[in-house]
Amino acid sequence: MTVQSTNRTDNLAAAADPEAAVSVPPPGTPQAPPPAGLLRFPLLRSSRFRLAVRRLLTAIPVVWGVTFLGFTVLNLLPGDAAQALLGADATPQEVAKLSHQLHLDQPFFTRYWNWLTSALSGHLGNSLGSGQQVTAILVQRLPVTFELLLYAFIVSLLIAIPVATFAARKPGGIFDSITTFIALVGLSVAPYILALLLILFFAVDLSLFPALGWTPISGGLGSNLRSLTLPALSLGFPIGCFYTRLLRADVLEQLDEDYVVTAHAKGLPGWRVLLRHATPNSMFGLITVVALNAGTFLGGTVIVEQIFGLPGIGEELFQAIQTRDSPVLEGIVVVFAVLVVVIGLLADLLYAALDPRIRYDNPGQ
Amino acid sequence: MTIPVSEAAVAAIPAATASRARGRLRQTLALYVPTGLLAAIIVACFLYPLVGNVPPPVGGSVLDAGLPAGTAGHPFGTDTSGNDIFSRLLYGGRVSLEVGAATQVIGMILGGLIGMIAGYSRGLLAAVLMRVLDTLIAFPALVLALAIAEGLGPGELHVIWALSFFSVPAFARLARAATLRLRDQNFMLAAALSGTPRWRIVAFHLAPNLLPQQLTFALLGAGVAIIQEGALSFLSLGVPPPGASWGNMIASGMQTMSVRPSLVLLPCLALLITVAALNLLGDALRARWSAR
Repeated sequence: MTVQSTNRTDNLAAAADPEAAVSVPPPGTPQAPPPAGLLRFPLLRSSRFRLAVRRLLTAIPVVWGVTFLGFTVLNLLPGDAAQALLGADATPQEVAKLSHQLHLDQPFFTRYWNWLTSALSGHLGNSLGSGQQVTAILVQRLPVTFELLLYAFIVSLLIAIPVATFAARKPGGIFDSITTFIALVGLSVAPYILALLLILFFAVDLSLFPALGWTPISGGLGSNLRSLTLPALSLGFPIGCFYTRLLRADVLEQLDEDYVVTAHAKGLPGWRVLLRHATPNSMFGLITVVALNAGTFLGGTVIVEQIFGLPGIGEELFQAIQTRDSPVLEGIVVVFAVLVVVIGLLADLLYAALDPRIRYDNPGQ
Repeated sequence: MTIPVSEAAVAAIPAATASRARGRLRQTLALYVPTGLLAAIIVACFLYPLVGNVPPPVGGSVLDAGLPAGTAGHPFGTDTSGNDIFSRLLYGGRVSLEVGAATQVIGMILGGLIGMIAGYSRGLLAAVLMRVLDTLIAFPALVLALAIAEGLGPGELHVIWALSFFSVPAFARLARAATLRLRDQNFMLAAALSGTPRWRIVAFHLAPNLLPQQLTFALLGAGVAIIQEGALSFLSLGVPPPGASWGNMIASGMQTMSVRPSLVLLPCLALLITVAALNLLGDALRARWSAR
């Protein structure tokens, strides 16, 4: 049993490796240790808190790098916002004048520095096109995207957890064979293809759900959810299939462990062993993958929002790229990057919460 | 004292052999069915238009627009511009397969190299590489792909560059994790102790050990790249019409979806089958190589 459990911890460490490697800078890189005087507070001494702080500290250069990369990419693109705003037949004088007004004629690093300093004080600038504050745009658009993400995530878990658990009950059985096949095909479906199929079937043929548009929560929770159901399904089903395959393998692995044999030997009914012992212990791999896939998941909303005409961040992003609206684009990129970092951090904290044996202290401490 | 041998146990032996044989058959099928499917798709897209009687995918006459499936010379009918749908499916498949293959080759070579260096070298270089990789991974890749595709203008080659920003960091992360696992194993230490130059260790001791994992990952990644190419074409940032691509076929078919769903369904199906075949093959290879 001891051997088994050490193995399991090793596996976990290996599974969490990319994340763990992110959190532990190689020896030699400077790292800000918490001041010794504060260590007398128990909370500040707890390994979880230290982990959170360390992860947040290492996230700073990553988020900074993302903003710089975003600025660079947008700067390297041919054409600029002034040209895009004025259209193709604007005279060079007009373009130059507008460029000057928008400070686009300043050198690259000056513009980046100005943006960065104001961003650090919480002001993300104004949209070059509409003049609206970027933060206002984000506040207006993000709730739709977040609701869609959350809904899709719940859909994917509602598919993955029950299906994987029951498939693992009898590996090779009928249910397992069918769901394994469906999951493999399902994870090959692109969200936009599924979206079109769902529209074709549920909206055009059956008229069960609206094909386009979005009803705000103020228009009633029911119709709000109805307008988001098809988008959430098209986003959540493929990723749910992916999670299913992963979780099924993990549950099967857990069922080989000694504690499962012990539980059976004690006379616990099989379903109880499965639901209360094996499945909860299989969640670690899923958490890792959810965190690693967060970026892809976010990216997937862009196209799904386009298809269903949802007024989320995806539509704004698409416009911002076409009009070279760098403040808006930067704002979106920062939000996405921060989200990915926060989700990664949450995953690490969840490991520690689920398994008290996991310690994120540096070896040798 | 004799040990009681139940008859069931004896009877179970041939049953077990049979089930093992069935398992082996299943494994073989899992490998050869997707391989055959992929080979068929590749032959159909690249060779069949050269030998078969396939009309050109573009330049159809409006007089032929909207012919139903089964019309002479047009097995799947024609689209709203009068182009043969079957031919567009084949030529669109070329784009998808080329993009899938190219992004993975670029990712495997460039990303593999970066990952091996980041995993094998210790010190500043590894730290800097890791931060760059972290940044690339945290950066919403679709934003990058959209921006690059928009900036460079539509076109197959530009899609390949844009999508390589997905594949390179993914391969690099994979190669780095594998390198970290292998770095301190005995055969690596033995090579280092016997004075093998570092580049030789990386090229001839490390890289061959990473190859199986990278190849299976490339198959799965090709599926993702094909889906992304479809997405970019769908957003009219990929292959510009009238050129054929599954993505832009889906996008243009969407306009007449309620009247002629087959214009959307056929390219969707082609994309789904191709990606599923890639996933199945990657899966079978992984099962085979991890069992070893």
